[in-house]
This record gives sequence, C-alpha cells and structure tokens, in this order.
Amino acid sequence: MSREFDHLFKLLIIGDSGVGKSCLLLRFADNTFSGSYITTIGVDFKIRTLEINGERVKLQIWDTAGQERFRTITSTYYRGTHGVIVVYDVTNGESFANVKRWLHEIEQNCDVVNKVLVGNKNDCPSRKVVVTEDAQRFANQMNIPLFETSAKENINVEEMFLTITKMVLRSKLEMKERQNVTANDVVNIRKSGHKSKKKCCQ
Amino acid sequence: MNHEEIKSVVQEKFLSSERVTAFLTDAKVLHPEWVKRDRLLAIVEYGDEKAVFCLFSSCYPPKSFTDLSIEIVLPIDNSFKCEIDNKPSDPEAILYLNLQSQNNKFKFEIQMTPRVDSFVDELFRGIEAVNKVPTQPEFVWLKKYNVKDENDIIAESIVLPRSGIFNVPNSAPVAIRESLIKRKMCDKEAEYTFTKKFTVFCGTWNVNDKSPNIPLKGWLSVDKEPPDIYAIGFQELDLSKETFLFDQTFREDEWYCAVLNYIDKRGKYVKVEKVRLVGMMLIVLIKEKHYPYVRNIVCDTVGTGIMGKMGNKGGVSIRFDLHNTSVCFVNSHLAAHVEEYERRNQDFRDICNRTRFPQINQQPKAIKDHDHIYWLGDLNYRITELDPVAVKKLVNENNFGPVLEWDQLRQQHKSNNVFAGYHEGIISFKPTYKYDPGTDNWDSSEKHRAPAWCDRIFWKGEHITQLDYRSHPALNISDHKPVSAIFSSEIKIINEEKYRKVYEEVIKQLDKLENELIPQVKVDITEVDFGTVRYLELQVRSITIKNTGKLPVEFEFIKKLDETNFCKEWLIVEPYKKCICADETCEIQLKVLINKTSACKMNAGTDKLYDILVLHLYGGKDIFITVNGTYQRSCFGCSIEVLVNLNIPIREVPVGKLVELENKRDQYVSNQSTYSIPKEIWFLVDHIYLHGLKEPNLFEQPGLHSEVLQIRDWLDTGSIDPIPGSIHSVAEALLLLLESTVDPIIPYNLQSVCLRASANYLQCKQIIMELPEFRKNVFLYLCEFLQEALQHSAENGLDSKTLSTLFGAIFLRDNPNLIQEPQSRINKQVIDKKKAQFVYHFLVNDHSDLIFAK
Repeated sequence: MSREFDHLFKLLIIGDSGVGKSCLLLRFADNTFSGSYITTIGVDFKIRTLEINGERVKLQIWDTAGQERFRTITSTYYRGTHGVIVVYDVTNGESFANVKRWLHEIEQNCDVVNKVLVGNKNDCPSRKVVVTEDAQRFANQMNIPLFETSAKENINVEEMFLTITKMVLRSKLEMKERQNVTANDVVNIRKSGHKSKKKCCQ
Repeated sequence: MNHEEIKSVVQEKFLSSERVTAFLTDAKVLHPEWVKRDRLLAIVEYGDEKAVFCLFSSCYPPKSFTDLSIEIVLPIDNSFKCEIDNKPSDPEAILYLNLQSQNNKFKFEIQMTPRVDSFVDELFRGIEAVNKVPTQPEFVWLKKYNVKDENDIIAESIVLPRSGIFNVPNSAPVAIRESLIKRKMCDKEAEYTFTKKFTVFCGTWNVNDKSPNIPLKGWLSVDKEPPDIYAIGFQELDLSKETFLFDQTFREDEWYCAVLNYIDKRGKYVKVEKVRLVGMMLIVLIKEKHYPYVRNIVCDTVGTGIMGKMGNKGGVSIRFDLHNTSVCFVNSHLAAHVEEYERRNQDFRDICNRTRFPQINQQPKAIKDHDHIYWLGDLNYRITELDPVAVKKLVNENNFGPVLEWDQLRQQHKSNNVFAGYHEGIISFKPTYKYDPGTDNWDSSEKHRAPAWCDRIFWKGEHITQLDYRSHPALNISDHKPVSAIFSSEIKIINEEKYRKVYEEVIKQLDKLENELIPQVKVDITEVDFGTVRYLELQVRSITIKNTGKLPVEFEFIKKLDETNFCKEWLIVEPYKKCICADETCEIQLKVLINKTSACKMNAGTDKLYDILVLHLYGGKDIFITVNGTYQRSCFGCSIEVLVNLNIPIREVPVGKLVELENKRDQYVSNQSTYSIPKEIWFLVDHIYLHGLKEPNLFEQPGLHSEVLQIRDWLDTGSIDPIPGSIHSVAEALLLLLESTVDPIIPYNLQSVCLRASANYLQCKQIIMELPEFRKNVFLYLCEFLQEALQHSAENGLDSKTLSTLFGAIFLRDNPNLIQEPQSRINKQVIDKKKAQFVYHFLVNDHSDLIFAK
C-alpha cells in the first residue's frame, strides 16, 4: 500500500515553436487552457499520475522550447526519455514539414524510444492545411501512431498521452520479460549441465 | 511558565471580546501516520458562540502571542461531536479527544491533568448550549481565523515531512501522498458509495457444557428470509479443567457442525471466521454471494477471568470489511454472580481496551473503530432489589416492565457505565436464566435466584435497525435459553465506476498540488542585448528573478553539455547561484568584458558575442537566457601580421575580411605587406617620442582608463585629430596594444631559446636576426625608441633595468594555452630575470648593425 507509484516515466514534447506543446501539457496536467501565447524559453515539466491496468504510473512530462536557436541545448534533454511526443500544427504546413527534422533529432539523441505524432490545433476545419490523410500516410510510413488533437477544445489530448504511456509501459514490461527469459535460459543451461554431470558419475 | 501565564499569552492572541474559557497544554494532534506535538487547545467564547482552537508555537511554551499560530479551528455548532477514549495501556494518564465539526475530524492526545475535567465540561456545556438554540450560529468572528484551507495544510504536509511532523513509532512508514489519498477518499465516501440493506442474524447461547443433541432449527432458522450474515456466539461450550488449561475441546467441532446443519437451508453460506477461547466461541457465516466482498478478516480473544487474564471469562471477536463498511462482532461472557455488576462493567471495558485487530500498514483497529458493532453474549447482569418470587410472578404474567426496571444492565447502561453509545432493543421475552436443564421451569436449586436476562444483544453504528429480538425457550438442554436478534443493516457499497471517478479526481487534485509545488520563477528579461561592446570596456546588464512559487527556490546557472563553464569567458554572472524565498526577487548582474583573449577570438571569428545561459531551478525547470551584443572591432587583439597589412582604420574593415585576414596570417610575405611595422604602434611611439620623452615617470605612472579607451577609438577610427589623453595614457595604450597581439613579438616557440641565450648578447642578436621580418622590425624599432627614452633618464626617471623588466614581460609573453607546471615563485623570478636580461642587451648595446643588415 505504501507505494507512491509503480513506474516513473519521462516523456518529452518537441516540435516547432508555437504548435501548442505547452498547451497540450497544461491541458493534460492541469486541465486548463490559456489562449494567450507565451513562448517557452527553456524546458519545463509537470507531473501526472495515471493508473493503467492497476499499475500506478507517474509521468514527468517535459515541455521544451521549440525555437530554432535553442535546438542544440534542448537536444541535451532527450537523455533518459522514455517517450517522445512530436507535435505539429495542423494549420501550419511548415511545422508538419519540419516533423522529419524533429524525428531526426530523436534518432540522434535517444536510443530506442516510443514516439507519437500529434497534429495539434485541430479545432478549426477552415484553417486546417495539413490534411489527415497526408499526416496518416506519413505516420504509417514512419510507423508512429498519429493523433489529431486540440488542447483548446480538449479533444484527443487524454487519449494521446494515455497511448504513449501505454506504449512506454508495454516496452518496459516486454524488456523485463526478455530479461526474465534470458535469466531462465541461464538457469536451464546450468540445470542441464548439472544433469549430465550426474550421468557421468553413474 | 505556569498554566495561567501561558493562558494569558494565549488570550492575547484573541480579541478582548473573545474569551479563552478553558485551555490545555501538551496536546498532540494524531494523524494516522504522524503526530504533531506541543499543541495548545483552547475553547474561546464570543457572545454565545464557542469554538475550539488548536495552536502551536515555534518555541514551547510560547513566550509571546506573536509566536502563536492557529492550526485548527473547530466551531462548536450543530455538527460538532466529541468522543473521549482512554489509552488502553494507561487509562489513567492519557486521554484521546475525538473532535468533529463540519466534516473535519481531529484526534487529540491529552495528558490527564485536573484541568482536563474543566476543559471537557466546558466543551459539553458548549455542545448543550448550541443544541438548545434553534438556529445555527453563524460564527462570523471565526472567519478571520480560518486562514488556511485544507489544501494548504495538505501542501504543507507534502512539503514538510521532516519538520514538525514525526512518524509514529512502530508504524510502517507510509508515503504521505498515499495517506492523503486515503484521507481524501474517506472524506468523499458518500460520492462513490450507495447503501444496501443486509439482514444480520445474531444469536447467543450459554450451553452449559452440553453437547448439541437437539436440533437448533428453532433458534437458527425461524425467519421469513434467510439472513445475509450469521453471527452465532456460545458460552460454556466445555467446562472441563482440560479445556480451561489447554484450550482444546471436541465441542468446538460438535457445535460448529450443528450450526452448519441447522442454519437456514434456503441460503448458501460460507464461513467468514470462527474463533474460540476456552468456552466462548463465535462463528460468523455469510451468504456465498457476498463473500467476494469480505476483506481484512481478523479475530482476537481477550480473557478477563481468573487473575483478569484467563479465558473462563472474556470476549472473542471477529472483524471484517464488507464492501466499504467495517463490521465487528463480539461474543463475551462477563463475570458471574449477582452482586458483581461492577466487575462486569470492568470486563466490558477490558475487552474494549484489549481487543486489537492488526492491520496491514496501519495502526491496529479497536472494536470502536468499526462502522457496525454487534455485541452479544452471556453478559451475566441480574435483577437486584426485587424478590425472586415477585420476579417470577411478574414474568410469568409477561409483565416484564417492572422487572426490567431492576435489571442491572439497563441501569448501568442508562448511567453510561457500560455499553455507552450502544443500543439494545425492547425485551419482550422471558428471562433466559436460570432454568432446570431440559425444562422450562425456573431453577429449583437451593440458591433460589431471581430469573435474569443474562443473554443479550447490543449494537452500535448508524443505519442499523433491529427487526426482532427474542429468546428460543424450546431449546432447553441448558440452564440458559438461546437468544437471537435480526437486524437490517445498511452496508456501504462501492460503485466501481464512481469510485474510479472520485479516485481519479483525488489523484488529479494531488497531482495539481504537486505541480503547484514545483519551483516557479519569473525572469523579467530572457534576451539580454548588450548592444555595442568595445574592447576593455565593461558593460553591465541586470535581470531580475522573482520566485512566484510557494516555496523557496534555489537556482544555479548550469553548464551545457560538453562545455567547461556555464558561460563564455567574456561574461561574468553574479550571483550565479542563490536561494530565493517565496515572493522575493533576486537581481543578477551580467557583465561583459572583452579582454585580449576574447578579442583575439572575436577578431578571428572563432567566437562571437552570443551565448545562451541555462538557469536551472533545483527540482524544477530550466530557463534559457540569451546574451548577445555586437563587438566593435579594434586593433587590440589583432595579430601583428594583420595590423601591418591594414592600410585603413580597422573599423572600416568589413568583419568577414578581418576574419579572413586573421585566418591566413601565416601566409603573409613580409616584403609585400603595407607597412614594416603596424601603424598603430608607430602612432603611439611617435607621439611619445615627440611629446613625452622627458615626461617624469614615463611608463611607470598609469594612464587614465577613460583616456586609454579614447586612444583606442582614435586608433581604430583613424581619426585625424591629435591623439587624446596624457602621455601616460598613451604609454599605457602602447603597452596594452603590445600585450594584446595574438602572438607576442617574439613568438611563443622561441621563448625557451631566448631564455637559454639570455646571458649571451651575440646569441640573442642571432635569434633576433632570424625573426620574421615584421617582428624583427617591431622589436628593433621599440628597442631603438627605448634607448632614446633612456637618453632622457634624468627627466623621465627611467633606467634600463626597469625598462628591460617591463618590456621583457611583453616581448617574451608566456603562452597562456600551454599548460605549464605551476611555476614556483623562485622559478618565475629566474625566468622574469632572464627575460629582462634578454631585452637589456638591446637597450644598452648599439645594434644599428642589425638595422642596417636589413
């Protein structure tokens, strides 16, 4: 009973400046939204605890500055990250075009890591320029789940974070299982070695 | 300090119209996981309204009212409840006070002192008074004291787990967050539970050492519907010495099987638990369908018999949680004999105080800690003051009222000496004791006792209704008749969906709190622009960090990956590390100074006036602070090769061009360059030559920094005005310029050769001969000039020793990039001497041959 959490995961939100990274975090962690735009100058984090299949997962979610000039510094925050949320703005084609660069950043700075692609500001169809089909095709190609969200209208935000958390949790459990399997193999080898020895004695 | 003195300090905390009417020291506030010590409890009266205050101070006892803080305010209103318990192990010394008002519950531990009585009296007077008033008092005067809302208190307990809050010894450490979740869930119970009625059958029978040789159906299975729960208690199962001494009896199984045989067959039951101490046995059964919702089953036994410990008398109990309601059944056999009602009261208290149900990660539960308590058994209270014959007559006429008047248990219960807070249903059955076994006849032995209702059933808890309370005289093998009661009890059931929702809300709320406790600051400027920055001209900007969070925050400028320092060498940050209290601000000064090292890099394009600082908050975020400016190019910090090739003032050279020149300075061929020595050196030397050779203290008196900067600009802009400033400033500018060149005039790689040769003029000359052309020129030009200056030593006070030491250090600069072993002072003195010696040759000897050799 005296456990605060079973898993602690670090998630990172990256993407071009102004796509709504901080708003997604604010919506998810505090369930609030502020229309006024404040550029993130630095990296900030918030926590949220989720329960998934009875396991308590504590998320530490890092929100990074999207501005180009901070690119080299922010890349140092990728270390130790379990999951990365790559965000673009569905009303801004350039931010979608830059997703490739962000994925490259991940490749450069992380080992194996779970990713989701998020098209934010999906609340005004008339202003949408990145069509879902294009984004989906790209996501499929990259083998990354796609979510179209709106931090403002609270659409799909919870689902998106829940999905990446589940992905991270599954990866961890799979890894553990693999370790167990190898551990068992070691035991088996020893056992069989022991048996053959017995045979020799006979 | 005595009690009255402390009381007067406490009184000062309140307005004169608010009177402290009762007051206790040394109180403790008990939470499930921690204890707050050294609290003061005060009852304060304002007009007709009263409230309980809990106060604390930084030093105990408090010396002044300013040191007193109000921690808890509980208005004594209609919702106010007060319960008092004794500490089981030490009932004389410690008292527990459970106070509840408007859904706030607190438990206080209080030292038993004579003052406690008057405090408790005052408390109950307050409760009585408020319950007489039809309208709820408004307690307007308390508003000013309710400074903290609950979340603040929670926040404090998250933040301050180590100061002022102590773990209760022997209890497993539970994360505070965990206990907060539990507490919050408990407060919100109503939001996620609904109630469902369960029927509970309680039966008790003193079987007087008999085996179950008759059917029990008439006792256990007489109701319309089978009950949801059976709780069946027996006393005197076995009176043999063996059982008493070894606590083993075959009767346990006999009676258990009999019970299973005769319970209502329409229901399917499973055992919750069975517990026995000597002759007392308690069996709890539940319908199979409810069993999955039964958790935390624990039982306990308490002997109060011989020596107050043995199991011939006492109580056995079983507790469990059914859905979200905690239920406890107690079967007791209290002390016998007509006159011994005090002893029976004591047995009851002992059972209450000594029964403990261990819990996982929690303090053990007592009987009273349960929502629903059912207490059954042979309680052994008798009828006194009435003639046995009269009793028999009355009960035979079913006229129980007058007899029950004299029932000890009724009397003791009424005066709260026993079963305080418990209820008993109306008795409409004949006394259950004492009969001649096998008959319905009153005991015919000589003792001639009055019949009595020894066998009783009590309950405590909300939403319990007794449906029936009866005896079963047909079961006549014992000298007691069995008794049973049927209850309809509302059990709180968790609505899983709602529970999830409430739980998630609680978690979210705590997450929110945790997020609010992450250090937060506001930085007024995150882009610091220094504008134009000039060589050796210090520029200062300041930024202000405000702590906007709830806690003190410690910040530090931290290194970026792969960097040795948190900022560039031309930047100074003060302070770079500090702690700021909540709502306070800290000014940070950023200073830029371009010296020769950084100027060289700026000129060569390997560095620019741009840096991003990482302001790290411990336990929190990082803020990036961008620093930039434009470096005004200057001849200072250039290489001699570049300077001799510049025929225009350096300011007029495009930045890219300068970088290009600096980067290919090794390729210059001397005879193709514009000048034989840098024009800047010539300007300065020539000025001194013309105007300052006779200046006293030449090269020894420092110039003015502002004038040096003017001279710098004069050189860099190619001004046609006369050189500004005094001779001393010009002399200093010359020294600074010579010192700032990328390489010294005698390159680093020749330094050791020079030092070795320093004793030998010819060798020194040889080295100079082999220097690259511009360097040789500059060297000889300066030496010639210095020789000239020495001609006027009478006026300017120069001597060759001083000059050679001064210029030795400039001509033969130590390589800052060479990591040398730390030079000892003596070694450094030797080297400096050798440098001076090297230059000395050229100040005292005629070296015109070298010049003509060109």
